[in-house]
Amino acid sequence: MGVLMEVRDLVTRFYTQEGTVYAVNGVSYDLQEGETLGIVGESGSGKSVHALSIMGLIPQPPGKIESGSVMFQGRDLLKLSRDQMRLVRGAEIAMIFQDPMTSLNPVLKIGTQLTEGLKLHLGMTQSQAENRAAELLDMVGIPDARKRLDAYPHQFSGGMRQRVMIAIGLSCNPKLLIADEPTTALDVTIQAQIIELIKQLKEELGMAIIWITHDLGVVAGIADTLQVMYGGMILERGPIKAVMHNPHNAYTLGLMNSLPRLDEDGNRRLQQIEGSPPDMRIEPVGDPFAPRNPYATERCFKERPPLRQVEGSAEGHLVAAWYDLPAVLKAEAAQNG
Amino acid sequence: MDSVVGSKVMQQQEQTQNEDREVILSVRGLKKHFPITAGIVIQRQVGAVKAVDGVDFDVYKGETLGLVGESGCGKSTTGRTILQLYRPTAGSVVFEGKELTTMRGNELRQMRRRMQIIFQDPFASLNPRMTVGNIVSEPLLVHNVMSKNERKEYVSHLLEKVGLNPFYINRYPHEFSGGQRQRIGIARALALNPSFIVADEPISALDVSIQAQVVNLLEDLQQELNLTYLFIAHDLSMVRHICDRVAVMYLGKVVEIGPTNLVYDNPLHPYTQALLSAVPVPDPEVEEKRRRIILTGDVPSPANPPQGCNFSTRCPVSFDLCYQEPDPPLIEAEPGHFVACHRVL
Repeated sequence: MGVLMEVRDLVTRFYTQEGTVYAVNGVSYDLQEGETLGIVGESGSGKSVHALSIMGLIPQPPGKIESGSVMFQGRDLLKLSRDQMRLVRGAEIAMIFQDPMTSLNPVLKIGTQLTEGLKLHLGMTQSQAENRAAELLDMVGIPDARKRLDAYPHQFSGGMRQRVMIAIGLSCNPKLLIADEPTTALDVTIQAQIIELIKQLKEELGMAIIWITHDLGVVAGIADTLQVMYGGMILERGPIKAVMHNPHNAYTLGLMNSLPRLDEDGNRRLQQIEGSPPDMRIEPVGDPFAPRNPYATERCFKERPPLRQVEGSAEGHLVAAWYDLPAVLKAEAAQNG
Repeated sequence: MDSVVGSKVMQQQEQTQNEDREVILSVRGLKKHFPITAGIVIQRQVGAVKAVDGVDFDVYKGETLGLVGESGCGKSTTGRTILQLYRPTAGSVVFEGKELTTMRGNELRQMRRRMQIIFQDPFASLNPRMTVGNIVSEPLLVHNVMSKNERKEYVSHLLEKVGLNPFYINRYPHEFSGGQRQRIGIARALALNPSFIVADEPISALDVSIQAQVVNLLEDLQQELNLTYLFIAHDLSMVRHICDRVAVMYLGKVVEIGPTNLVYDNPLHPYTQALLSAVPVPDPEVEEKRRRIILTGDVPSPANPPQGCNFSTRCPVSFDLCYQEPDPPLIEAEPGHFVACHRVL
């Protein structure tokens, strides 16, 4: 497996009337071919804006990609022209969004929306594209696919619409599928259907996936690598088991401890993270989580911690922290007897 | 003194009647159907959305009853119909010994002091043109319970209680974050010193790191003020954490109800089993081993429910009886644990 995409020092800002919004503040990572990367963060963590930046979907103005590069198969996506980018989007990188209610065009038939990309990117004729579209709908588990090509989005339920979105996303066999909270708007039984579907399609088609979510449970079931974002930065990333079982960033640990689990009975008091997420209109200095971090050192407030390999953990388990979390926790435990 | 002793005796009597626990709210045969009309000038009813279609349960004093189910199953409508924010189509709601469904006007308004609601969306449920002080003191004004000065002091006290600085009393909702706004909503619900609160998805609009703050606050307040909660949610992990008992709804009916640990460890209804198996656990090793029951299809429309059991169209274990007989009744499978399924009968 080779590297599919290299994101380096990505910085995206929005210049609004209420001031500059520092949305993405230097994000760097590699994505391997066929890898499933789960990106977890809260609203305002920059997880969605970073994906939109990769896709060239940031409205400019007010947005601006200040610096960075996204190397995808030998080309820097950020340097491509609009027309060149249009040929990448949909064909090589596809994206599905949170809200299947609004991301389909309500006045166009499902068939029209499905065949658009096939004709543009793969040069299919109308009848070829229609045949392929019917196959795709069938692949994502929509019964009676050929007839449903003539249906409009409002005739589908939420879960079915997300299936249609997935069919559109995968229609041109992309190398990378970016899924931005694809199941957040869905009920839990429908979410399970969609996750199962994407897992199965990934096995068949072998594309890499970036799965953006706020739900640690969802990524635990599908991701190879977990990347935790906060304040427009990566605070921790690595093989999912290493990060979840042995977190080295206080935010990752705080998130894990604040979640109730289905498989434990409810006698434990939830450990809460104090404070609120940062105001992204203030230029970040230092570690963005420092104001809410009980273990923050003076340095955390002043200097931004770089991502470093966690000693003694799996390779690629990186953390951005000036403090040594396991050591701090050990000392705390010793103090409390 | 006499009245205190009297009420204690009464309480004891009730306790012996109800397995040591006092029932604060009793819902029987509750139905709420919303009419579907056709015609522009003359509206005639052509059908009904059976949002709540025959719900029975009791809520005991001081407990948290979770009401779970997917969107459209009628859980929010149940909560609002209990509070008489919607008037029920049929059924009875007895709260603190009084029948609410036949109450009107002032009599009902007096009861509203005892029962309050916290809404899901802290961005939509606070009037943007009112200050925090006015929002929290409005219930006091409506019920005319305090003088102006007393009100101000009391509101400061309430804000402190929910973890907000009383200094912010003259600020407007937009100046607060989602979690803080939900605290304002909680303070407003507490203002009249209610005994029962319907919490309608109080944390689903909040960021993950804020959810635990609000849940801990709700738990602390329950301890301190001896509150009873009806906790409506779709986050089943959180429901397990916060609720003493849980009721699972599907298409307007309760399909299973019982003590939380019994229902979660031994779900009896095939819908509950599928629902619980679909909830992801934030642990990759657990997830690798879990077996999911993937339900096919979508929830049927409550305007046109299936002929037989409501769940028969998606049920992995349905048999002929499920398609012929109307919905099975709730039966007690183990002490306190009720289920409505032909398979279990």
